[in-house]
Amino acid sequence: MKLVMYNDFQLGLYQDNQVFNLSESLTEINAPTPQDMINAVITDFDSTYRARIQEIAGKVQPIPMDQVHLRPPLPRPGKIVAMAANYMESGALKEPKPLNGFLKSPESVIGEGATVVLPAGHQAAVFHHEAELGIVIGKTAASISADKAYDHIFGYVNFNDVSARGLHPNSFLWMKSHDTFGPMGPYLVTADEVADAQNLQIRLWVNGDIRQDYNTSDMGHKIPKMVEWLSSIVQLDPGDLIASGTNHQGLGPIQNGDVIEMEITGLGRLTVNVKDELNREWHRGVDSDIADWVAGRSSEPPAWAKR
Amino acid sequence: MKLVFFDDYKLGVLNKDETRVIDMTLTLEEIPHVGPGDYMCRLIEKWSGYKSRLQTNMLDMPGIPLEDVQLRAPIPKPGKILCMAANYLENGTLKEARPINGFLKNPSAVIGNGDTIELPPESVDIFHHEAELGLVIGKKARNISEAEAYSYVFGYTNFIDVSARGLGPKGADVFLQGKSYHTFAPMGPYLVTADEVPNPQDTNVKLWVNGGLNQDYSTSDMGHSIPKTLAWLSSITTLNPGDIVALGTNHQGLGSLQNGDVVERETPGLGRLTVHVSEPLKREWPRGVDHAMADRMRG
Repeated sequence: MKLVMYNDFQLGLYQDNQVFNLSESLTEINAPTPQDMINAVITDFDSTYRARIQEIAGKVQPIPMDQVHLRPPLPRPGKIVAMAANYMESGALKEPKPLNGFLKSPESVIGEGATVVLPAGHQAAVFHHEAELGIVIGKTAASISADKAYDHIFGYVNFNDVSARGLHPNSFLWMKSHDTFGPMGPYLVTADEVADAQNLQIRLWVNGDIRQDYNTSDMGHKIPKMVEWLSSIVQLDPGDLIASGTNHQGLGPIQNGDVIEMEITGLGRLTVNVKDELNREWHRGVDSDIADWVAGRSSEPPAWAKR
Repeated sequence: MKLVFFDDYKLGVLNKDETRVIDMTLTLEEIPHVGPGDYMCRLIEKWSGYKSRLQTNMLDMPGIPLEDVQLRAPIPKPGKILCMAANYLENGTLKEARPINGFLKNPSAVIGNGDTIELPPESVDIFHHEAELGLVIGKKARNISEAEAYSYVFGYTNFIDVSARGLGPKGADVFLQGKSYHTFAPMGPYLVTADEVPNPQDTNVKLWVNGGLNQDYSTSDMGHSIPKTLAWLSSITTLNPGDIVALGTNHQGLGSLQNGDVVERETPGLGRLTVHVSEPLKREWPRGVDHAMADRMRG
């Protein structure tokens, strides 16, 4: 099942290029905010809403997809927990880097067709895209073991962990949490439609040029281990998002006027724009300095990381 | 006004002499909310519509003796907890503030008065308490100026930024492991509206462990002032009603936390927050102030 938010944050079911309105039928749900609506559906999906949604879709008149304005499927998740440096860099690393992660501001989320705004007040050395598999939590997970991890996953979504480099001190808050730095969508795909989350191709294009093109099989700490570790620290709740990390081979600058598209097998295509009122310019294409550094081919960090 | 959650998360206010809790459930039940987690945030958002009604009710209703209720965390699940890192001049020993820095702390980690910090079994160097002034956002704030910063503040609460040292890769930002463990965000006992805190930039922050005073400092020693802090944070991420900003700690006085400890935290006008510590492995660290830590942070 593919769930969407659209127009004034109506919850919908996406099917065959059409959207079926769910919010108008799910009046029993107490949802002061759009995120409360999707959280309620996620929490009781297996027991109630999978069947309810199918029933509703059999009754309501669908709207053609091109007539709706898509919104992020998780408009404001309770938490975004992101993994840091969690890929083998296309097999270049012998073993995964030590587990690390960070919290990203849930305020950063934007959806299909929206715009990443590079903050004018922050003089970053460069802004990067980071295409990632977004994992949506379905059941509360506190200190769960790896073998139970998939039981706690509701679904998957394209996620772009937009990053500002070279701000000092180079903390994750300053690097990752700017408003609009969390593009997500176009829809949220339930886990039953993803046969093997550990074997998905992730692609990202900037202005039509492919930049990132990697498989989730290259992940350092695999999904079960990741969920085990994160849930040993923070309690993960329904509707929370895990950004599972990026392969740095293929990262590149984003700048004013860019169009960023990303696609993960089965998760649709997410397109967002980039705006920078300062019109800062960087070279176009892949940043090999960060790619070589993270992959261990170069001991020389990028200039912005040298402070 | 002092706002509280009590018993099974009823919303209330304290009476004038702070001896009784007045149940405001009937006045506030019309506010749309999902549960305790978002209830206080929604009230803060709609504060102008409820303030005078609460003030009137405070005078009319008898209330319940404070000792007969169980207080809960005033904001059990804030939208965000933003913390400032190393934001004090360490009793004036630093010539200037350190570069401005901060992190997000897990909003699910909140506990309230009488609750227990559960230290995880991980191999840490030590667990520390960090007594901090907690600021609560009142209005949506995006790119605000320092001059207008205080108009976005709803109130204040005692906050403890419980910290685990020595976890995660060396040299990396490890605030997730260092700060976000479940139960690592004690807060309360009340949420006090800003009008009752005349000068948050010159108030006292105290913390005791088992009756021994470890931290005792003034917020006048803050490196980046409250307005500067709010302007900077809001230039990164939108602040919303009920978000917590933990303003950082003075490291002169940090000490270990271990199984069985009782931690108390007080700032004038904000009441006293008491929490317990549980650590199943019963590891031991030196008690009292961690002077090595204090020395490292001094200028």
